[in-house]
Amino acid sequence: MQFVTELIKGLWKENPIFRLVLGMCPTLAVTTSLENSLGMGIAATFVLICSNAVISAIRNLIPSKVRIPCFIVVIATFVTIVDLVMAGFAPALHASLGLFIPLIVVNCIILGRAEAFASKNKIILSIADGIGMGLGFTLGLCALGATRELLGAGTLTVWTGLPKLTIAAYKPIALMILAPGGFIALGCILALMNYLQAMVAKRKGTTIPAPTELDCRHCTICKFGS
Amino acid sequence: MKETLKLIMTLSIICLISGALLAGVEKITKTPIERANSAKKLSALQEVLPACDNQPDQNECTVEHNGQTWTFYVARNADTYAGTAVETTSSKGYGGDIAIMLGISAEGTTETIAILKQTETPGLGANIETDNFKSNFKQKALEATNWTVKKDGGDVDQITAATISSRAVSDAVNKAVEAYLANIDKIKATGK
Repeated sequence: MQFVTELIKGLWKENPIFRLVLGMCPTLAVTTSLENSLGMGIAATFVLICSNAVISAIRNLIPSKVRIPCFIVVIATFVTIVDLVMAGFAPALHASLGLFIPLIVVNCIILGRAEAFASKNKIILSIADGIGMGLGFTLGLCALGATRELLGAGTLTVWTGLPKLTIAAYKPIALMILAPGGFIALGCILALMNYLQAMVAKRKGTTIPAPTELDCRHCTICKFGS
Repeated sequence: MKETLKLIMTLSIICLISGALLAGVEKITKTPIERANSAKKLSALQEVLPACDNQPDQNECTVEHNGQTWTFYVARNADTYAGTAVETTSSKGYGGDIAIMLGISAEGTTETIAILKQTETPGLGANIETDNFKSNFKQKALEATNWTVKKDGGDVDQITAATISSRAVSDAVNKAVEAYLANIDKIKATGK
């Protein structure tokens, strides 16, 4: 039961991008197209599941004073494995994502989950957390990537080689695929999510529960709830 | 003291395991990575070179020009010089280096270009990969063409709103053409 709870919390309640607002640097950098977002999401999810599992397994062996260097070594190892395997067996994907793979090491979601969850919980729950957070990250990236690609380029490419959607009559807003567009799209989607949550809560007559693991600095919900 | 030793030991052991694991993965993936890289190079060569019956990727001519080392892949057909291809890079791109493969025919014209690596803005600078832009470099006389964008008084039609990327590609082509013209005899004689 707890497995399912840990699994689904990353999708909405503790979505890494829109709720925890973690890993903003790679998020804003890769979401210029849906394809890049999807690739980055899958690679980060793989690293997240593996690093969560290993860190959870060795959590009792690591002295707390050196835990952060240990976590980083574990994460960097998996990132390098992903990098090498992708370069060898999926060169096309590696060519389009190559630049972002080393960025996964410094993605705060991965270190954040290692520190906040995997170092305190059992392996099986940590894996569930990794899958959930990874899926939430991928979904968040895809939502941003699709919005920006659609508005900024007038196309929607799921994967190179698959048929892609092109809106010929649409004149693209180039700003949306440039850096400022990332901030604008992120802000709009965040606002929309907060609005939806507030609407649902109002209809049900409940107050929005504050996310437990967050501090006030990261939380934008109270403004709508109270 | 004892605690410090424990910290050092733990971190060392983790690094040791990690190192061993990576060495293993590296060993497994080494051949596929090399194969993928050479396949990529070969397909780019085939894209930009005229028809030939030798193996251009194994028929190299290395020259020095403007303090840079250039590797020309020379194609031969029935033992006569058929053309050459060269990889050239410009650091003037909008999002980092742009690497292209330029094909040159035996008649002193460009064959075409293939973009090997670019990280330009999708939808803008990334349009240097479109055939429309690449046609600027298709079958053009090497010496008679001014390899700069029209905005700077040259012959290359720049992409609207992506002048910097267009400029970078022109710059890369220009450098390669200069290196070719300066060493034309040596290149033509390679693999004779």
